[in-house]
Amino acid sequence: MSLYEIYFGGSLLLIVVGLYIIASKRHLVRVVIGLEAVTLGVNLAIASMGIRIVDDVVMMDALAQSMIAISTAVAAAITALALSIALNIYRHYGTFDVRKLRRLRW
Amino acid sequence: MIADPLNLILILVGAAIITVILDPVFRRVGLIEFGGIVASLAFLSTLIFLSLEAVAGAVIPRTIVWGPDSPLTASLKLDMLSIYFSMIFSGLGLVASIYSTRYMLFDVEHLPTDDLLWIRRRELGLDRYYALLLTLIAGMIGVTIANDFFTLYVFWELMAISSYSLVAFRKWSWEAVEAGFKYLIMSTLGSLVALLGIALLYGLAGSLRFDAVRAAVFGGGNMAATLSLMMILIGFGVTAAIVPFHSWLPDAHPAAPTPISAVLSGIVIKTGVYAILWPLFKIFSPLAYGFGPILIGLGILTMTFANIGAVMQSDVKRFLAYSSIANIGYIITGIGLAAHVLKTHPSEIGLAALALTGALLHVLNHALGKGLSFLSVGCYIVRVGSREVEKLEGIGSRMPITTASLGVGLLNLAGVPPLSGFWSKLFIISASLGIPSDNLMLAASIIFILNSILAAGYYLWLFQRLAFKKAGSNEKYEEAGEAPALMLAPLVILAAACILVTIMLNPVLQFIRSALEVILG
Repeated sequence: MSLYEIYFGGSLLLIVVGLYIIASKRHLVRVVIGLEAVTLGVNLAIASMGIRIVDDVVMMDALAQSMIAISTAVAAAITALALSIALNIYRHYGTFDVRKLRRLRW
Repeated sequence: MIADPLNLILILVGAAIITVILDPVFRRVGLIEFGGIVASLAFLSTLIFLSLEAVAGAVIPRTIVWGPDSPLTASLKLDMLSIYFSMIFSGLGLVASIYSTRYMLFDVEHLPTDDLLWIRRRELGLDRYYALLLTLIAGMIGVTIANDFFTLYVFWELMAISSYSLVAFRKWSWEAVEAGFKYLIMSTLGSLVALLGIALLYGLAGSLRFDAVRAAVFGGGNMAATLSLMMILIGFGVTAAIVPFHSWLPDAHPAAPTPISAVLSGIVIKTGVYAILWPLFKIFSPLAYGFGPILIGLGILTMTFANIGAVMQSDVKRFLAYSSIANIGYIITGIGLAAHVLKTHPSEIGLAALALTGALLHVLNHALGKGLSFLSVGCYIVRVGSREVEKLEGIGSRMPITTASLGVGLLNLAGVPPLSGFWSKLFIISASLGIPSDNLMLAASIIFILNSILAAGYYLWLFQRLAFKKAGSNEKYEEAGEAPALMLAPLVILAAACILVTIMLNPVLQFIRSALEVILG
């Protein structure tokens, strides 16, 4: 297995784990954690696409680096927003349990 | 005229920064409309810039790069297609921000009394409302002027984050925070799927510039390219509310403040359409990748599901949200028909152009009609305090201007003949009947026609219940009158725009044709 495949396989694994967390957990904060795991998986996928091996030295493409930096910042904004909405839900219901909500069915 | 399309973004984001800093100051001295004025001026100036650019004639598609022209630098483009979409976006942003100056005040006044805690804590965040609206539209315009996939993704997230905060804006209501959370999770997952597709394209091409990616994937037959095509379709399809991925929309759109519902339903989902249309036709060629039947199938599924769902709604805003999904179905079907024709009958490019013309005209019609309908319903909410159809029956006698505007919007959405909503549907239907030997297109046209009839039926039924039915025994009617002038003005502007598009259909079609040259080459 080449380095690309290991990295890409790892990123897919992280995405699957994140999706599993989102689908199975009943706690709003855990759902946000699952979302973050998916984000990290996608970032790792970008990283695996940016691997360049020059003279047996593993490097990363500059475009991939800047993409990951920006996408991490975006993910931080989304996580902050998700947590603040989760906090507002907690203020209403006094619980973080998804099952107690009225409309949150997917 | 616009030397650099980035100026559009700078105007809007600059105005957003100004409102964030100065709005609390002006709010304290009593000028509560300050944010609305700044936002309206910013939207007006982008609209004027864009129309000057469009009137100046043949816009030469051009790209702008900062710094050295390497595959690493971000770049923007400007062509007739981006101008067409951006004009719709800033136009609806303008009317929404005028409308908000009065509506948002009402929204705060009518807090449930047991939630006055929020006011005491000064956590209403009204001073940030216009900043979010401005960044929302800035993100949408940015999506249409991006020239590489990562710039597109960054602007996409700017739009998405602003719209999540706006859906959850009334954080004192359970409906808004729940719908906001659901919207955030689903739409972010969608964006991440699209980003994974973009990552695959980056692996294939080594760059994310549209021309470089196009050179890498244009020939077709590449497994990874097909996979990333599907990921982009699914990922952006979540925001466009294509049916298997639509379930956030009927919750999120009604839960937002009404002007935001108008913006979300009218144009945010159209950004999803653009983000599907552009990569599919310009990057992946419909000739190499046979995605036409998939799009037709999704479109048919979307419109049928949503039309059936709409009939069962008793909440007017929820009803309008379902009808937005249905209209996305019409647009996606039009795009799919064009792709299918290009693939199977490459000589019939005129027919593909007809289908795409219908789809693009429907983007405009739906933005105007749905914006108008939502804003009219907002007036009812202000005066009657309800959005249930039963409680609004016969409101037409009390609020004639609002109801007449709603009528124009609903008739436009229903596709009643003289209005332009009829022509856009007719273009798509006649394109689908263009090749009678093709069974798929024939089936699509039959289902399309049945859906249009069903939709026309329920729009007219809703309108007659609101306008002509005898008023029930609702004591709120007695004092109900027209909404404030600043809320009626946007309705009149949008109703006039609906009629104006109908009267000036030829110039509009000319405009769309020049936008199509960008797509079809």
